[in-house]
Amino acid sequence: MAELKDVPLNSVQVEALVVMKIVKACAATFPTTATGSLVGMDVNGTLQITNSFPFPTADVAASDAHPNDHMAASNIAAAAPRSKANVSYQNEMIKYLREVNVDANNVGWYTSANMGNFINTSLVENQYHYQKEVNEKTVALVHDVSRSSQGALSLRAFRLSPNFMVAYKEGKFTTENMQKTKLTYKDIFVELPIIVHNSHLLTSFLHQLPGPLPKTELEFPASLAELNKVAPRIPLYPNLESLDLSIDPYLEKTCDSLLDTIETHYTELNNFQYYQRQLAREQAKITAWKAKRAGENATRATQKLAPLPEDEWERLFKLPTEPSRLEGMLNARQVDQYARQVDGFTASITGKMFAVKSNLLPDSQ
Amino acid sequence: MAVKTESFLHLARPLAPSVIGVQPTTSPLNVIIQPPAIFSILDHAIRRDIRDTQSTRVIGALLGVRSEDGIEVEVRNCFAIPHTENEDQVEVDVEYQKNMLALQLKANPREVLLGWYTTDLTLNSFSALIQNFFASPETGTFPYPSVHLTVSTEAGKEIEAKAYISAPVGVNAERAAESCLFIPVPYEIRYGESEKSGLELISGAKDSESRAAPVVSDIEGLERAVDQTLDLLERVSEYVSSVLDEEREPSNVLGQYLMNALSLAPKVDPHDIERDFNNHIQDVLVVSYLANTIRTQIDLSQRLATSTLTLGGSDALAGAGGEGAEKGDRGQRGAKRGGRGGGRTGGQREPREPREPREPAD
Repeated sequence: MAELKDVPLNSVQVEALVVMKIVKACAATFPTTATGSLVGMDVNGTLQITNSFPFPTADVAASDAHPNDHMAASNIAAAAPRSKANVSYQNEMIKYLREVNVDANNVGWYTSANMGNFINTSLVENQYHYQKEVNEKTVALVHDVSRSSQGALSLRAFRLSPNFMVAYKEGKFTTENMQKTKLTYKDIFVELPIIVHNSHLLTSFLHQLPGPLPKTELEFPASLAELNKVAPRIPLYPNLESLDLSIDPYLEKTCDSLLDTIETHYTELNNFQYYQRQLAREQAKITAWKAKRAGENATRATQKLAPLPEDEWERLFKLPTEPSRLEGMLNARQVDQYARQVDGFTASITGKMFAVKSNLLPDSQ
Repeated sequence: MAVKTESFLHLARPLAPSVIGVQPTTSPLNVIIQPPAIFSILDHAIRRDIRDTQSTRVIGALLGVRSEDGIEVEVRNCFAIPHTENEDQVEVDVEYQKNMLALQLKANPREVLLGWYTTDLTLNSFSALIQNFFASPETGTFPYPSVHLTVSTEAGKEIEAKAYISAPVGVNAERAAESCLFIPVPYEIRYGESEKSGLELISGAKDSESRAAPVVSDIEGLERAVDQTLDLLERVSEYVSSVLDEEREPSNVLGQYLMNALSLAPKVDPHDIERDFNNHIQDVLVVSYLANTIRTQIDLSQRLATSTLTLGGSDALAGAGGEGAEKGDRGQRGAKRGGRGGGRTGGQREPREPREPREPAD
């Protein structure tokens, strides 16, 4: 990029407050997509995200006639970060936050996802909208609600790569251009590592969650009922729910999504083949026309007449425009994402299953 | 500051003279606080402005939902309000509060103003003044009681919180605005299932010096959980063996509890386990295999689409000539893609098949 770039962003540090706000906002609207704005600042290549607020989607919910049809609402919510009303909302909110000493720089936006289905044109458009501004050090945080419910929190930070930014700006996703720039689907996004950071006060507070530790030695309970009653609160960390064995719903969902992407791929393929057939037809017509014109000229030459111009075909025939490769690239990136996700599931589930098996059948080892 | 107070004595608040037609309520009130709100308050406490005010506390408004009968309020969100306070007067930016409230409600239309918070435990006449502002019919929560949450944020001490509602007290008319009776109400910090994973991540950083923790992948999370479980089992078995060695005092109740837990292990035929295990693991592996096959296919297709094919391009060049050279090149590639597409239609149906045998295996 052209502007002065002192240190490129290399990691993202998210305040605990932001994590909780995003989790809350995304869970509240699930399965509809939720989006919001992030504020913070960048310090030596680390983007510190210190606060966030959701974008209003009230008008959507009110105007949506079918409460079950969350797709329409999702689409509008997904487009929220780049809509005009929300840009002014965001500016106003930041203006007010500045008065209470919150970092007043917009550093990106967040969105919710469902089983890793976040790679689409909307993400690209939104991130482009943010990244093309003067302050281009912005990230997109993606919180996967479904995956987080399965175990570890899934929060990822993405940026568009500089190469992709250039290509997207020109809007040229033709084959020639991509051959020239060597842009592949793997180069669309740059993922940044995320670190969660707590303030001192918050650390102090977290030590009191979920309950204070007993100060004195505990007495033995007198009965089983009493033991159950005073059962200690399970600590928040580490989360033992990740030991859960049920994986099938997640795998099934991912398979469905994979099939969907194959459908998309197939559509893209058809589009391209259609384009090629069109092109071939036009090419054939042009060749025929040229041959005809050459023949005419030959006859005219024998009759001592001036030859007709040979480049008129450029006006007569119109070559079809090549469909954009962007959709296909995004789809490929999405497939890549799903496959990695399945790998992750498989890795943990096989581990757990072998553990269970050797527990139930100790002799088989 | 416990997640939940065990028992609480509800004090009925004195009935205040109220508008005709509005039934004053004396029913007990429960306050539920969601973690984001607390986090936000603590964040605000850190960011307080110490330059132009002597006060050490900051204030802000609480937002959330109120149950239909009004006996339970859930604090979901809050925002900071700038204010200045010195010995004889307090100033709250009312305009700011109004605008910010409007902005917040735009994004969360279901939430309402519930009350206010401050980051100091003391209640003084300024508190009463602000409380009356938040409880008034024009700018506050009337006819519902306004909740006042005080959170201690003194460094090096435990964080304490107290929740109050208020009632007017009978002092002379001039001082009515700055006096009220604060009645403590119980509160509870409640977090949902979805917030658990977030809290886990944040709690992971609580014992580290840098107060930071990276976001871990599923498999690392699993490793930690297994480590933790092993550690717990170790502790239990240590206790049991020390009881057996007559080093520690035995307890019948604990023994019974452990026996109950052990009896939860299912009794299944080894062959059944073996079979189910193999079925399931194969299903999982097949899905993984197919997903990766699809990935490779798509990758290949993308590469073919954008690579310059020189090998097959030459005969096409001869056929089409001049202008057609480049297009012919593409036509050649189109044929390849078509061929691959045909192969893929077979592959497209494949991922469905392993699913049928998997369901009975569950």
